[in-house]
Formats: sequence, structure tokens, C-alpha cells
Amino acid sequence: MNQPPPPLDLGEPPQVAGKSLAGRAPYVISAEENRALCESTGVAPAADGSAHPIYFYIATQVGMGMTVAGLCAACDFDVEDGPMMASSKVTFSKPLVTGQPYQVSGRIVSLVRKPSRKLGVMDMLEYLLELSLPDGTAVLSTTNVWVLPRKKLA
Amino acid sequence: MKAGDLLKPFRIASVSPEGMKAWARFLHDPNPIHLDPAMVKAKGLGDRVINQGPANLAYLINMLQTAIPNGFIESLEVRYVDNVFGGEAVEAGGTVKDISAHAVTRRISCDVWLRADARGAVLTGTASVLIPV
Repeated sequence: MNQPPPPLDLGEPPQVAGKSLAGRAPYVISAEENRALCESTGVAPAADGSAHPIYFYIATQVGMGMTVAGLCAACDFDVEDGPMMASSKVTFSKPLVTGQPYQVSGRIVSLVRKPSRKLGVMDMLEYLLELSLPDGTAVLSTTNVWVLPRKKLA
Repeated sequence: MKAGDLLKPFRIASVSPEGMKAWARFLHDPNPIHLDPAMVKAKGLGDRVINQGPANLAYLINMLQTAIPNGFIESLEVRYVDNVFGGEAVEAGGTVKDISAHAVTRRISCDVWLRADARGAVLTGTASVLIPV
């Protein structure tokens, strides 16, 4: 009678769920950078001061309390080993505008280790970031998931 | 506009390596796979620089904003399926899945994607866009 193979011992990833990603200083989308960004993607900037919606990603990523390398290091992962973006989700309550200071808050939601046919072993990092106005009014909420390939465990 | 309609596509004829240098500044991300073909090759990822994922997503957002003028993107969810390389042609598109009426807005729910001409889907996802009634 066939027995299922014993589960692989992949080890435990660092316990980072709940770690704060709150920004230390407000993030401001400059009109000049927004213009350059829009033009780099083949469109003209909005005339009414609206910023390109992709700033949901940039403002939260740049404005959170640590660098990408720091976020990886918190997960005991060397950024040189190549984190890969898996998914992004955003819900807007308000449009983004240039010149407006935004507060960034957030946290690591989970870090889950999994076997991977392609990578051997990987950790799935999920983190939540939110933008709000200085008075606390919500602007957007975004959740990103990254794949952290664990080559040394493969 | 009705369910089943195709959204007007948004096309980038050639993804610019110079644009990647600009995005490295926007993102404060000096990862050399976006800047140096030799580094991409050394990592076994190909022989051309790799576009930043958020830049690919920006093309998709441009498609939504062009296809649905005066729309407010309420939500967007995407999976990063594959890389986009320097010099590639990509096209963002979508289909309308559903339109629902609300007090002062209509919500347009869509399937969306970004495809590389030579290789197929690089981003797939869904979007919800509000337009005034």
C-alpha cells in the first residue's frame, strides 16, 4: 500500500508578522517627478494636479519605514538573492495629488515558507501599506506579495 | 459600454532602458537588473535589462484611464506573471465583465492584462472603475 511521502522539513521562516512599516516622514509627490514619470510611460501628466495612480506603489514603498533591502533583511533574506513581485492589490478612497503630504503606515501580514517546483524553497512575504492625509483621512490601502527564493534551503 | 466590450488597448512600442533608469530613481531602487545587461546575464535572467514591475503596472493603469475617461480607479489587483525586457513591445488591454448602477456612479468591473508581443501575458488582473452617472 502506498504511503504519502513524509512532509519536507523546510524550517521555519523568521517570525515577522505584525512588524510595523510605518513611515518616519510624510511622502510628497512632486509635480516635476510626476511629469517625468507620466512621460516615461507614454502619457501626459494630468492638468488638474492629479498624480499618476501608480504612486500608490511608489509612495508607500518609498515612504514606509524601511528600504526594500531592509524589509528583506527583516525577513532574513539578502536582497541580492532576488526578491520577485508576485501580486499587488490596491483600493483607493481618494485620488492622489501632487504637493500633498501623505502619511504611510503598515505592517508585515505574513511570511510563509513553501516548497516550490521551480525554486526549491520559497517564502511568500505579504505586507500591507496605507496612505492617509495628515488629519488621518484614508486615501488608499495596498497589499503586496513578494516571493523570496530560499536558494540555500533548496 | 457594456459587458463583453473590449477596452481600448494602450501600447508601448519599445520599453526604454532609459526609462528604467528613471524608474530606479522614482522607486529609490538601484537593483542592477534594471540597469545593467551584464548583471542580468550574470544572474541567468536573460541578456536585456528587466523593466520594473510597477512600470509595467503603470502601462496598465494608462490603458484604464485612456479607455474610461473621467473614471476613478476604485480598486486594482494584479499578478506579476513574467518579466518585461528592454526593447520589447507590450500592450495593455481589458474586457468589461460587469457594469452596475449606484446612486451617483456606475461601477465598471474589468479583466485586465499586459502582454508582451513575443511572449504573451506579463500581468493579469482585475479592476473596478467608477464613473459619474
